[in-house]
Amino acid sequence: MSAETTSQNNNSPSSEDNNTAEEAAGTYECNICLETANDAVVSMCGHLFCWPCLHQWLETRRSRQTCPVCKAGISKDKVIPIYGRGNPNPQDPREKLPPRPPGQRSEPEGTGAFPNFGFGGDGGFQFSFGIGAFPFGIFASTFNFNDGRPAAPAPGSPQEAEEQFLSKVFLWVGIIFIFWLLIA
Amino acid sequence: MANIAEQRIRREFKEVVKSDEVAACNIRVELVNDTYTHLRGEIMGPPDTPYEGGRFQLEIKIPETYPFNPPLVKFLTKIWHPNISSVTGAICLDILKDQWAAAMTLRTVLLSLQALLAAAEPDDPQDAVVAQQYKEHYEIFRRTALHWTSTFANGPKKDKDYDDKVTSLINMGFEEHKARVALSTNQWDLTRAAEYCLS
Repeated sequence: MSAETTSQNNNSPSSEDNNTAEEAAGTYECNICLETANDAVVSMCGHLFCWPCLHQWLETRRSRQTCPVCKAGISKDKVIPIYGRGNPNPQDPREKLPPRPPGQRSEPEGTGAFPNFGFGGDGGFQFSFGIGAFPFGIFASTFNFNDGRPAAPAPGSPQEAEEQFLSKVFLWVGIIFIFWLLIA
Repeated sequence: MANIAEQRIRREFKEVVKSDEVAACNIRVELVNDTYTHLRGEIMGPPDTPYEGGRFQLEIKIPETYPFNPPLVKFLTKIWHPNISSVTGAICLDILKDQWAAAMTLRTVLLSLQALLAAAEPDDPQDAVVAQQYKEHYEIFRRTALHWTSTFANGPKKDKDYDDKVTSLINMGFEEHKARVALSTNQWDLTRAAEYCLS
């Protein structure tokens, strides 16, 4: 009803000044809590909600998720968050519970798809060699949480020379091993 | 009560009070207690129906999970309608069950109930006796609903024939409401109604 009233007022500019503040606030009311929407999201059918309100509604109706206003199909992935300007305490809403779904941002065409592809931008080249048996290899790769390999040491330091040396040794051992496999 | 439920009911309460329907005396809500958990609604019987001119009282209970779950609504005023129990006042209406949506309000619920009075759904009944009468003897149903409206909801139209039949059963020594239910259930046949009262 409030939407109808607003549109009527928009058609007749003379009455637009009456209660504009109140009606402007009314236009951005969440359809569930009826307060001005915070952490606002909008459904594909165009209905505005607070994200916490909509999230709770979707949780209540897990099996049949419909828009609370028009009963169109709705889902977490198909709502769009609205970011306004002038928030005095900017905070990532996704840090709050329940998390608001992220905006869908697609990359523009034509940029390099893999800018860091190759041996890394810092010029460090490492070669490591190991012999593993099948099941242990899985453990090593699965539980390697913080990518345990330390950063390459500063170029020119004795540590770097040492590591380059080790790296070369392993490289040669590896080549010899493969050579031996080919001959045997 | 959860904060959101109470805040919303406060707002809706204001919305209903300010609405055009209240100005036209079609719907009304009032508070029963101060916590906004329990309200009393009233709807006017819609025109061109047997309920026309009647005022029907409703009990509205707001669950803690409102508006994610529907309010619990039942008729306090006795009514003869296929989708409303003539005994308990329980309502069979989809939006008060699985078709509830969180954007619905007290106002839309009351207007939907008014629409239900105007458009009964006898194939999805709450009161099987009434629904059967609606389908098989529509004219008797219409007069019975009118009689109940004038008796319980201050409806303006009287049906002298039915009033007399109730009086004669009362004179036979039966309690008034029992007599009315017996006659309504037995298509206003005095003999069968008397037997029904005795069984």
